[in-house]
Amino acid sequence: MGLNELIALLSSDTAIQIIASVVKILIILVLCLQVPPLMVWAERRAPAMMQRRKGPNRVGLFKFRLYGLLQSAADAIKLIFKEEVVPRGANKVVYHIAPIFGVFTALVVACAIPYGNDLTVFGQKISLSPIRLDVGFLFIFAISSLAVYAVTLAGWASNNKYSLLGSLRASAQMISYEIPLGMSLIPLVVIFGTLDLNKMVIAQSAYPWSWGIVKAPISFLLFLVCMFAETNRAPFDLAEGESELVAGFHTEFNSAKFAAFFLSEYVAMFVLSALAATVFFGGWQTPFIPYDTLLGLVGGMEWLAALAGFICLIIKAAFFLWVYIWVRWTLPRFRYDQLMSLGWKFMLPVGLVNLLVTTLVVAFIEHAGRN
Amino acid sequence: MTQELVFLAFAALIALCSMMVILSRNAVVSAIYLVGDLFSLAGLYASMDAHFVAAIQVLVYAGAIVVLFMFVIMLLNLGPDQRQHLQVSAPEVGVLALTIIGFLVVGGMLLLGQPTGVTGPLTAEAIENAGGNTYTVGMVLFTKYLWPFELASMLILLAIIAAIVIAKKEQNKDGDTRRLAHG
Repeated sequence: MGLNELIALLSSDTAIQIIASVVKILIILVLCLQVPPLMVWAERRAPAMMQRRKGPNRVGLFKFRLYGLLQSAADAIKLIFKEEVVPRGANKVVYHIAPIFGVFTALVVACAIPYGNDLTVFGQKISLSPIRLDVGFLFIFAISSLAVYAVTLAGWASNNKYSLLGSLRASAQMISYEIPLGMSLIPLVVIFGTLDLNKMVIAQSAYPWSWGIVKAPISFLLFLVCMFAETNRAPFDLAEGESELVAGFHTEFNSAKFAAFFLSEYVAMFVLSALAATVFFGGWQTPFIPYDTLLGLVGGMEWLAALAGFICLIIKAAFFLWVYIWVRWTLPRFRYDQLMSLGWKFMLPVGLVNLLVTTLVVAFIEHAGRN
Repeated sequence: MTQELVFLAFAALIALCSMMVILSRNAVVSAIYLVGDLFSLAGLYASMDAHFVAAIQVLVYAGAIVVLFMFVIMLLNLGPDQRQHLQVSAPEVGVLALTIIGFLVVGGMLLLGQPTGVTGPLTAEAIENAGGNTYTVGMVLFTKYLWPFELASMLILLAIIAAIVIAKKEQNKDGDTRRLAHG
């Protein structure tokens, strides 16, 4: 095949879409893999700041201490080189695939979030999220509900009574809080009238008074609490809480598998933060600058506007990640029965009433608008 | 052509996972293969442009029901299947024979009969024009099929209440010690 024919093949519609998809997936993958090291660094320096001490600041390279950023690199290298001990009597197959569920679900959900408006490249309309579905919302919930398997299988495959207990508690907690999590976001679907996340972001224009948080504040509060419970973080972390069941469901997992669980936890945090930013804070919309004005500002170069939107989304998600760390080092842990009764006896009824009221209000407004 | 290839791929996955569900020695591994089964089925739905049903399939079936299965399996603490060699009992041979015969019959009917190649009214464009997947499913579910929908939810409620009643009765059989502990 000559060079001209190759170029003609690569310029065809499907080829451009495929190449764009591959590029998008690579970028999102690299982005998500940057989050855990940075979060580990923040996780240790931020509480140090809050507790009036210095965090790790010794690891350096060529006399550059870099405020302890290299500590994450040292941690990663240590985790890779540690000895991998498989407990005797552990189910070999399930032991090895349990971390995969966590990492898979976290990374796949990260691909479903819109990182920018649709671009036109070489005459082809390319959406800035690798997975663009008209039911994107449901897809995110469907895939994140598979994250329970990572926890359940990990504890079971370890052949360790305490791991099993910890994992059953953690998975019961996760499935209990999945319901209010979904329930708190359905009113937003009713308000914006679409399950497509990109359309939801476009519907929340760049002005903060039409963002999701103003239209559904109770949903935001419910989602914020359920966010912590879903990722086993902050006041809901008794499943992996240090000084409780050693390390809970991932006690028997060391070196690379522990790194995989760690990674899946932080990527899930990032994904839920990005989802909160998308649905409640306008996603990739730059505040007060509508997309068309932005395009005019950058002189019509779409990719610059997309980059600006992308950076806005990352800043908003980073804010929520900061909230994660902030809450973790401020609040004491919930007891298990307190946690479960909070989920079932408070969050679920509040979520249901919220949904009912929102639906009635929206129906009323539409009815009044039609007449 | 691609439609058929995609269908074949997903169908092969489903057949493989279903076989492994039965042939695994461990109940939890069977449950994992069941998840693979349901995931592939959702893929099959998605290949037919029924995105809503595919997402709901994963959300409800693979994400909740099989988790419940797994909880039950773990709490029952079943050991792995003890059979070392391929020992089959008489009923199993009968079931296997029936399955193979059924497979041959259905396969023969499909190969010999002519598939009509007629698509129904619910093509992708028709659904798009009617307002999208979710809208059409919602409209149909709450207008035309309202009765079956509500009856199905009543059935589920019945099952939950029955389970609670049965479990409660067994608890009280233990006598007074249970009540003291909860007092």
